[in-house]
Amino acid sequence: MHAKLLVPMESPTTVETPPLGAEDAGAEPSAAARRRLIWTIAGIVIGGLLLVGIGLLASERSAAESEWAGTVLASPQAKPEIVLTDTSGQPYDLRAETAGTTTILMFGYTSCPDVCPINLASLDGALDELGDNRSNGVRVVFVTVDPERDTPEVLRRYLDQFDSNFVGLTGTPEEIRAAQAAADVPGAVRDPQTTPDGYTVGHASQLIAYQPDGQARIVYPFGTRQSDWTRDLRRLLTGEQPS
Amino acid sequence: MRWWCVAVNESWSWVPRPYLGVWVLCIGLLVSHAVATRRHQRRHPESLDGREGRRAVWFALGVGMLWLASDWPVGALGAGYLSSIHMLQYMLYTLGAAPLMMLGTPEWMARAIVERTHSAAAVRLLTRPLVAAILFNLVLLATHAPVSVDTLRSTQVGNFVLDMIWLFSGLLLWAPVIGPITEWRARSAPARIVYLFCAAALIPMIPGGFIAFASQPLYGTYELAPRVGVSALDDQQMAGVLMKIGNIPIIWAVMGVIWFRWYESEQRSARRRQPVRGARSAAASRTADVTVVSRETVAASGSGRIEPPTPTGADLN
Repeated sequence: MHAKLLVPMESPTTVETPPLGAEDAGAEPSAAARRRLIWTIAGIVIGGLLLVGIGLLASERSAAESEWAGTVLASPQAKPEIVLTDTSGQPYDLRAETAGTTTILMFGYTSCPDVCPINLASLDGALDELGDNRSNGVRVVFVTVDPERDTPEVLRRYLDQFDSNFVGLTGTPEEIRAAQAAADVPGAVRDPQTTPDGYTVGHASQLIAYQPDGQARIVYPFGTRQSDWTRDLRRLLTGEQPS
Repeated sequence: MRWWCVAVNESWSWVPRPYLGVWVLCIGLLVSHAVATRRHQRRHPESLDGREGRRAVWFALGVGMLWLASDWPVGALGAGYLSSIHMLQYMLYTLGAAPLMMLGTPEWMARAIVERTHSAAAVRLLTRPLVAAILFNLVLLATHAPVSVDTLRSTQVGNFVLDMIWLFSGLLLWAPVIGPITEWRARSAPARIVYLFCAAALIPMIPGGFIAFASQPLYGTYELAPRVGVSALDDQQMAGVLMKIGNIPIIWAVMGVIWFRWYESEQRSARRRQPVRGARSAAASRTADVTVVSRETVAASGSGRIEPPTPTGADLN
């Protein structure tokens, strides 16, 4: 019986480039080649999964494996006696107003291009994460080091971008200098180089965490992330102290 | 002058800062493509198919997309300021530069590259749909893990490696669909549609969702970067949304094109098969005489593969 194949006919004059790869040329791959192929695929998949797994594990930082995100002070530091002016123009006594609360004290200025907005945003995000604990007495106090530009109104407007509960304090340059000294942070220095937005001010970028007993045991450097703040503030709010 | 973008602890500035390495790479690619094409055309004038100009345009557009994704401002913003722009870069590499460069690469050039680099077997393996889909999504997951982003974004070499990994993963993704070596493409249109949907539309929705709905910034690089008009969390949510649905217009458009072309070709085939009035009896007799696929014949061919018959005088009659 005469049988023919039903296949598309190529023009006999067409010169085809030979396909690359032995299996595409119609040759049956040997058992060794097939084994090699399976091992290669398995290697790629396992290697990739390992890579992803390591990446995900390394990015997970549990509380157990990490100590406090800030620097634990060798000896506790008492909350300074600072009386400045708040954004409503009233005197604000730091010790009296924040007594019995967890207080985060920081120095900065509203035109700060990098450190201050990042610190404030991280804190704001962490406090949001705490939810109901937020009203449990975490106070954030922002003292300007640029009283010339940071009037109470400017300060209020700036802090409201983050949280209307953040306290803004200002005063005379002498009062601000004294406050920095009392809090044991380096004094701010106005940068002689001006920028298109005016001048910049070099200032201490750390945040000091005072616990309800009025003592600071941890100082948080710039670069403390929101997740670190969330974890540490939870611990501070439960009264946990660094050992 | 930096040669590639990198995360820097400086306030964002709109003063242009081009990256030397990006320009060298892009110009190098364009010149290599043009020189190779011209040399091939001189040596093989019979191989001209009239689509050289179109391919040159595709390739130039692909390189343009590569430049856009890597150079200032997108490169700089993605490297150190905004995770949403980091995600946009990923899209530009994998869904823009890679397919356009692939469309602009002629078959002879692709064959020459894999033959000269002795990488035919490896490339064939990597561009198999299943392998390509797995690798593409592994790259997606690995290069968006916070530890990878924070590590690679901190150096110029890291950024270069990240960008090139994205470009190559994009080439892998598109090879089974529009690869220049035609016999390495997925064989049927439905297979290509299913492949694209699974590889590029389905899986990215999962990490995209995680990123979009995370309650805290995941990437230290972007969280601690000087702000560029948007908070770190809002920026991250935009990045997540972009990963989740940003690919839809491109992937679904391509799937649509494949489907319509397939539908049209099926229609044409059906029209060709439809017997012409008056010739029905003749056609019926020819069909009975000619078109029988014999199992015995296939088995006798040894490999089980149906080979085109050698045209003979009897067959052509």
